[in-house]
Amino acid sequence: MNRGHASRANLMPGTLGIAAATAFLILFLSVESQAGTAVLLLGGAVFVLGAARFGGIARMRQSFTGNEGAMNLVVVAAALLLTGFFYDDHFTLLLVATVMIYMVAALGLTVQFGYAGVLNFAGAAFFGIGCYTAAVLTRNTALPHVLVLLAGGVMAALIGALLLLPVLRTRGHYSAVVTIAFTLLFKTFLEVNDTLGGPQGLRVDGMNLFGWRFNDNIEIGETLELSFFANYVVGSLILLALAFAFVRRLERSWTGLNMDAVRLDETAAACFGYNISRWKITAFTVGNFLAGLAGAIYAMMLGFIAPTNFTFGDSLILVSIVLLGGIGNPWGIAVATTIVIVLPEKLQIIQEYRFLLYASMVILILLFRPLGLLPRPLRSYVPGWQPK
Amino acid sequence: MDVGLFSQYVMNGLMLGMMYALVAVGFTLFFGVLDVINFSHGDVLMVGSFTGLATYLGLDALGVVWPVFQLTAVLAAATLAMALLGAAIARYLVLPLKSAPALNTLLITLMLGTVLREGIRLFYPEGANPKPFPALLPTDATALGNFNLRTDNLIMLLAGLVVIVGVHLLINRTKLGLAIRAVAQDEETAKTMGINFNLVVLVTFAIGSALAAFAGIMNGLYYNETNFGIGLLLGVIGFSSAIIGGLGNIYGAIIGGFLFAALQTVGAVALPFASAYKDVFAFGVVILIMAWRPTGLISEKVSERV
Amino acid sequence: MTTTRKAQLVVFAAALALGMASAVAEAKEKVKVGFIGPLSGGTSSNGLGGRNSADLAVTLRNADPNAKYEYELTVLDDECKPDKGVQAATKMAADKDVIAAATHYCSAVAIATVDVYNRFGLPVVVWGAVLPDITYGNDYKEVHRVNGTMINQNETAAKFMTGLGYKTWAVIHDTTDYGKGHNKYFSQFVTENGGKILGTFGVTADQQDFTAELTKIKSLKPEVLYFGGLTPIGVRIRAQMEKLGLEAQFEGTSGIVSDTFIEGAAGLAEGVVAFREGAPTEKLPGGMYFTEQYGKKGYSEPAEAYGAFAFAAMNLILDTIEAQGPNRKKVRAALNGVQGHDSIVGEISFDDHGQNTVALITKYVIQDGKWTLWEDSEYASGKRKLKGQ
Repeated sequence: MNRGHASRANLMPGTLGIAAATAFLILFLSVESQAGTAVLLLGGAVFVLGAARFGGIARMRQSFTGNEGAMNLVVVAAALLLTGFFYDDHFTLLLVATVMIYMVAALGLTVQFGYAGVLNFAGAAFFGIGCYTAAVLTRNTALPHVLVLLAGGVMAALIGALLLLPVLRTRGHYSAVVTIAFTLLFKTFLEVNDTLGGPQGLRVDGMNLFGWRFNDNIEIGETLELSFFANYVVGSLILLALAFAFVRRLERSWTGLNMDAVRLDETAAACFGYNISRWKITAFTVGNFLAGLAGAIYAMMLGFIAPTNFTFGDSLILVSIVLLGGIGNPWGIAVATTIVIVLPEKLQIIQEYRFLLYASMVILILLFRPLGLLPRPLRSYVPGWQPK
Repeated sequence: MDVGLFSQYVMNGLMLGMMYALVAVGFTLFFGVLDVINFSHGDVLMVGSFTGLATYLGLDALGVVWPVFQLTAVLAAATLAMALLGAAIARYLVLPLKSAPALNTLLITLMLGTVLREGIRLFYPEGANPKPFPALLPTDATALGNFNLRTDNLIMLLAGLVVIVGVHLLINRTKLGLAIRAVAQDEETAKTMGINFNLVVLVTFAIGSALAAFAGIMNGLYYNETNFGIGLLLGVIGFSSAIIGGLGNIYGAIIGGFLFAALQTVGAVALPFASAYKDVFAFGVVILIMAWRPTGLISEKVSERV
Repeated sequence: MTTTRKAQLVVFAAALALGMASAVAEAKEKVKVGFIGPLSGGTSSNGLGGRNSADLAVTLRNADPNAKYEYELTVLDDECKPDKGVQAATKMAADKDVIAAATHYCSAVAIATVDVYNRFGLPVVVWGAVLPDITYGNDYKEVHRVNGTMINQNETAAKFMTGLGYKTWAVIHDTTDYGKGHNKYFSQFVTENGGKILGTFGVTADQQDFTAELTKIKSLKPEVLYFGGLTPIGVRIRAQMEKLGLEAQFEGTSGIVSDTFIEGAAGLAEGVVAFREGAPTEKLPGGMYFTEQYGKKGYSEPAEAYGAFAFAAMNLILDTIEAQGPNRKKVRAALNGVQGHDSIVGEISFDDHGQNTVALITKYVIQDGKWTLWEDSEYASGKRKLKGQ
């Protein structure tokens, strides 16, 4: 991976940044008091703003673009370190795995409207199709679970194909309404339809990959017992790494270039002979596949799913992740997902006020960072190249 | 089906359709001037409904019991307050994001909707509970077989019609309307012609939000009940109605509103499956309509400039 | 969080020179207990009332000098949504310091979370959910319930209403397990008692407009409209019945027995009947004590109909911990064997599924803006009449 261009010197800022972020996350996930959470949030914000002020963020960014392969490994190591630290803390690991799974789904949306500009407000519905596919297949068939995962994705892509005609024909807000209508229709359908459990939802079996039973705690020696959620963290980390690598490759490839062209100016792209429909269909299908895939593993981890997981509001959460992170930037998704999933959970201590606070924070971020936290950088054809 | 029953269904549908149409007109006005979707619109409606309720309770506490005055005060307070809120939304949330991607406006207004909803739930006294809405219109009813013809429903339908005609006249016959149409057609040209763009946007948002407040009061009077959650679905339905009608066209919005109500009623009554499927049916038809007419029933006249 | 984790964390924080650890010396050992209920969303009034009641039980215990431990209440929100409930339950059950918990008002949530409690071994006492399967649908030793199930409730309801001479019903129920369960048991018992169901309508739990369903019902001309669901849509249905001139007696379930219903339906609430499991708390001496203490504490929300159950559930948990010490397994075993335990909702005895066997059902009618015991009401004495009588 382009290691030739990397120099040892600029590996440091990125590694330090990841280390600081990991340390912060560990502290943040551990702290339980309200005051502690507030202090950490404030401290974190001041630290990031300070780093941005003195050019730390820019240097980190250089270090990332210059050493992508190495930095990816550093991030994976950091995730494993985090998992190791919370080795027996069920809930924190559940949260970590949830963040990773949502990242996979958000990557799907990135392909859709980050690259090809296809709006999708039914992210949670496609995620839900994956969940329900997993529920039905694990309870009623003996299909190997690796195929169940794939089936979740394929099913989402197939049902998404039903929407292709209206999605292709409409644009902008008009296409938004197609997916909004679909997500409302999907949830209501699940609620009134008895065969899929109705509003009560369905149980889902735990994952079992070639004899690796995900729902058992891992015992190492006599004394050390790891939470079974550690299995799911590792499982979703693998899935995330694959999805991430795939999306990055897609972005770099001529497919990604074509999608960018379709998004930026449909008319111009059509004039240059691009097949608009082809790239929109590709992006929509790939995105739904990723969302369904994520849904399948999520359902197996949670062990229980219900229509209320897949409301319009949940679709909006996915959209807000992509927007907050900066449309089209997979690293932005990592930051945004962590904020969107972990923050309301940590704010449980303020109970009924947490949605109010969360919504207000998103408004502030959008007002002051209209392009998201980490806007997508210009396409760099030469890794490590800097504009002068 | 006997005539009475049929008339009752038609009446139910008309009432729903009127509310949807009023919400949809707001969406379409906002889209017209600024090409944005203000998704807090449904929750503005809900806040309008609660403002009206609070005004009523305040008057009641002061000992004012004359219904005509009460109704006027409730309507005035709700529409004025929401007009201000609408203008504030435009000024502080929508205009600053003008150069950002259109999706950001959508997200920020959605989040504002959440803030409004949660705000009412937490800070209105016991706002989480459903609240009774006073019957401020004459409640006498004539039973015609299975049809319960109520005076208040008739008054509300007429009032809704008057408001819609009013908006039509405002847009098409006044100088302000001319300015709004000018901005909707071409912002740059409108500006060079000396139209105060920001002011027109603020006024348009004020008008749209006042319409939502009106619909909110109507919703309260019709159901005799209001709660903090009514905005979300009304907002989505209003948006869908505006879209199937064709954004930027108030007749489209009105047609869309009544069409959606008709679909729901037909879905609940005339189709062989359980009435709970009515929304599945209505939204399914919306998707089909979009596939058939991708820019709505009355489509915008667009010519792409390259 | 375990103590080793805490120590680890302290070292970690010190190493980063970011955190400070302070040890607080306490005379009594601290013990954590939990409460989960709907604190946000449409049924939050019941959840908040339950939380306050559980909090009251803990506060009173901490004020008692004879108590062996100092209790700390951990509260989580399930939003009345199964998925959020599973998350909250996982969080609560995974915290090894929480010894036991009083959990869930919504049946749809409670039935979803029982697996979690079993998997993590957290003993819980359900304080409000009425679906039978929560206790009877499994063999989990962790799950107990102080309130009764909807089976007894609907048996009493059907007998009572047919006894008043009503013959025909239309049913509206929400499509969660709660509403479906009510529909199933009520329809069964009412048919057994010679009544007739003219039509059944399932509605979603967040529906606003019921005019289509109610217009259909009106043409069926039932004597009674039976509603199996929770307060928010109950209020809407009652109001919209009036709009359409549907003159049927409104009969609800335990899901609408809350002050919120009366406040929401205002004048239309008069004469509505509903049923709730358990002895009438307001009649028992313990119930009066509860009401008095609750008033003294000055909570901003009322206790609501299930507050007394939350209080009783929490007290049962505290009593058990006092006797057994803060150990989940011992507490679970002791809870399984509870027989004739005195509480403000009457005696609590658990059967082999952890279900409280006291099957008394209280009948309520709304009279002058209050849930009044049927036996004490002017409707029973014949001074006022229900619709169609």
